[in-house]
Amino acid sequence: MKREADYGTDDSDPEADVDSLSEGSDYEAPPPPKIRLHVSKPERQPEDFSIGQADFSYLPLKPDHVNRPLWIFPDGSGRIILEFFSPLAEQAQDFLITIAEPVSRPEHIHEYKLTPYSLYAAVSVGLETEDIISVLNRLSKVPVPKPTADLIRACTASYGKVKLVLKHNRYFVESAYPDILQMMLRDEEIAKLRITDVQQQASGDKLPALQIAGFKPQSQINDAQPQLDQNGSNLNDPANSMDLVDANGNIVGLNPMDEGDNDDDDAVYAFEIASSSVEAVKKRSQEIDYPVLEEYDFRNDVVNPDLEIDLRPSTQIRPYQERSLSKMFGNGRARSGIIVLPCGAGKTLVGITAACTIRKSCIVLCTSSVSVMQWRQQFLQWSTIQPEEISVFTSESKEKFAGEAGIVVSTYTMVANTGNRSHDSQKMMDFLTSREWGFIILDEVHVVPAAMFRRVVTTIAAHTKLGLTATLVREDDKIDDLNFLIGPKLYEANWMDLANKGHIAKVQCAEVWCSMTGEFYQEYLLADRVRKMLLPIMNPTKFQACQFLLDYHEKRGDKIIVFSDNVYALKAYALKLGKPFIYGSTPQAERMQILKNFQYNDAVNTIFLSKVGDTSIDLPEATCLIQISSHFGSRRQEAQRLGRILRAKRRNDEGFNAFFYSLVSKDTMEMHYSTKRQAFLVDQGYTFKVITHLQGMENLPNLAYGTLSERKELLQLILLQNEDAAGIEFGDDAAADADRNHSRAKRMKGSLASLAGGEDMAYVEYNKNKNKELRKHNPLINKLYYKKKR
Amino acid sequence: MPSAIRGTLIECDPAIRTLILMMDVGSNDLILEELDETHLLVDSNKVNYIRNELNSRLSKNLFNPDEEEQ
Repeated sequence: MKREADYGTDDSDPEADVDSLSEGSDYEAPPPPKIRLHVSKPERQPEDFSIGQADFSYLPLKPDHVNRPLWIFPDGSGRIILEFFSPLAEQAQDFLITIAEPVSRPEHIHEYKLTPYSLYAAVSVGLETEDIISVLNRLSKVPVPKPTADLIRACTASYGKVKLVLKHNRYFVESAYPDILQMMLRDEEIAKLRITDVQQQASGDKLPALQIAGFKPQSQINDAQPQLDQNGSNLNDPANSMDLVDANGNIVGLNPMDEGDNDDDDAVYAFEIASSSVEAVKKRSQEIDYPVLEEYDFRNDVVNPDLEIDLRPSTQIRPYQERSLSKMFGNGRARSGIIVLPCGAGKTLVGITAACTIRKSCIVLCTSSVSVMQWRQQFLQWSTIQPEEISVFTSESKEKFAGEAGIVVSTYTMVANTGNRSHDSQKMMDFLTSREWGFIILDEVHVVPAAMFRRVVTTIAAHTKLGLTATLVREDDKIDDLNFLIGPKLYEANWMDLANKGHIAKVQCAEVWCSMTGEFYQEYLLADRVRKMLLPIMNPTKFQACQFLLDYHEKRGDKIIVFSDNVYALKAYALKLGKPFIYGSTPQAERMQILKNFQYNDAVNTIFLSKVGDTSIDLPEATCLIQISSHFGSRRQEAQRLGRILRAKRRNDEGFNAFFYSLVSKDTMEMHYSTKRQAFLVDQGYTFKVITHLQGMENLPNLAYGTLSERKELLQLILLQNEDAAGIEFGDDAAADADRNHSRAKRMKGSLASLAGGEDMAYVEYNKNKNKELRKHNPLINKLYYKKKR
Repeated sequence: MPSAIRGTLIECDPAIRTLILMMDVGSNDLILEELDETHLLVDSNKVNYIRNELNSRLSKNLFNPDEEEQ
């Protein structure tokens, strides 16, 4: 990092900007610098804030810097700090959300980062390069440093210039800048995929079915008259052939001035590609730094049948939902992308509203069959769609909707399954893949990057893709793939903002430190890796803390959910404290019964849930969440769990707070995992209090494991458990299936005694004697006729 | 003539007590007397050593984002 960083004013002259093309001038614009930017996740890099590294005191401040809210880092990393206590903070925040990724948004100081993807998203909603730089300059305390300005220019120069438009079942790569198209066609991979066949369409004719990409004789092209498609005027006319290129790949009609009929600047040039090569073109164009924007002109789409659907008049859209949709439908066309809203903020309604805007056939994909039913029910509730127009595709029911257009709700696993299908299932899949969908909604889109689900996106032909999620973090870093599979992030809401306005519950987060008892700690220090995970969870002090918190909150009238992803601990706690519990093996009927009781019965105020509760269950509102087991530090897990209580209806009451406790055993590895998981929530703006001692815990009547002998017993019991007890449970949601497929081999550690059956196992002979199988005769016959011989 | 060893009283959690006991296992010269669950009498000369050892062992448990990313 150079100390003498060279920074210029914001009016540095644009040398040979690609976007200042004018028709008739030299088209050989120099190719923009191929800046292979290090696309890192917008996370706090540790060395950046260590002492002395971020010392930029040499930068000059503007005279009125006190009024401006932004600090921009001059080292070209694209980081921006926003002072949230400034009067201009609101507008600055709106602007920054559009152009940058939020890294951390606690109460007073926000951090954002400009990344290629975020700038891409900005351009796709219509912002111009110079506008971005000038607004930044207005808001910033220091003049916009040159590296940052260069970064913005480099990223936005190539973005937003090329669009992938689906018209009349044909895919066209179009752009207002012919030289960019020319450059793309010079790239071999894209040139290969181009369809050069020109078919002059008579007006009004329906187009033929999709062409297979291939080389066709081009005799008619050489003297084809270029027909310009005026943007917005005669898009309805299918007669315009978009193909302006001749056999050599040069764009014919490069000098429309000569023809004298091009006065307007809305000329659009395009070339066609086959539907099967769409993903390849998208990927390749992203690699050469010209990512294509996908837009769907649904109002002028006459080929796909319309779906009569509207929002019910009683449905109310909240301001942040409106804002996210306006990013999606910015210029009259529908953009594909991802919308990030916190749990319980009404993502389903956003999806439904988008479907009502597009008004074409729609397919919705969820993670589990429970969510499928929820989506269907919400569609019926918020929109005017008829029950027979919305159908469901799960393992229990495979129906098609009546009529030409409709909605299908299904799960990722049903659609992405590559194994053999039942006949009904196969028929349904054929129905899905054979037609064109106007809109596909991908719920919980953070699961999609797994290889299995990419298939979904490529097998189903949809014009617009909308991804919905609350947590765009994933531990395995496949988030970047989403940007090209689905689209850029269109909108991300600020959790604290929503909480302050009452749309989601305000949550008080606390970490309760439970000390390990002496004997438990001793065993912990000596234990192997497996037991090291189980012992801190089964810490008797934790039992007591849990009991105390349950008692305290039940007295307040709260509904409490206790999470544990370790099944052994779940059962132990629930049985000891006398509460109902649900985990993977609980039969469906029992689950429903427990949940109904939790919701309506005043006597049942606490339930224990395992990982199944993360996604598969339709949870009613709870107001308090306690977490007793914190495996592996998955931030996604914790964020999703928080979502369970953010739905609480009572959140609009004055001074209402929801509570989230994470119980950790002091001086064990749990502390480490717990902090890691909180990182995400802290960045969202939640502060974690630490409770080191629960006042009055010792005086609780019937305290669990109050005596030393009870604790020693518990310890002995745990030491006898084998490795399985310490593992986490597989959920039955889509993500788990993806993981399960990959790890078929399972390694187990055990003592010889356990293998031989000497450790709590009954010895049963499973393998029959091979000799007996080699017998040729039926055993009865053998006995009757052959045994006599002996 | 009675000989006396200078001792320091340590008051701590049961868990830390266990840690100190484990440190003592090898050399047997740290702890003079185990008083109860939360109190120990240790040799005064060894107090610094105990402090350093404890720090190093316990810091392994803490999550330090600076080290984590490297």
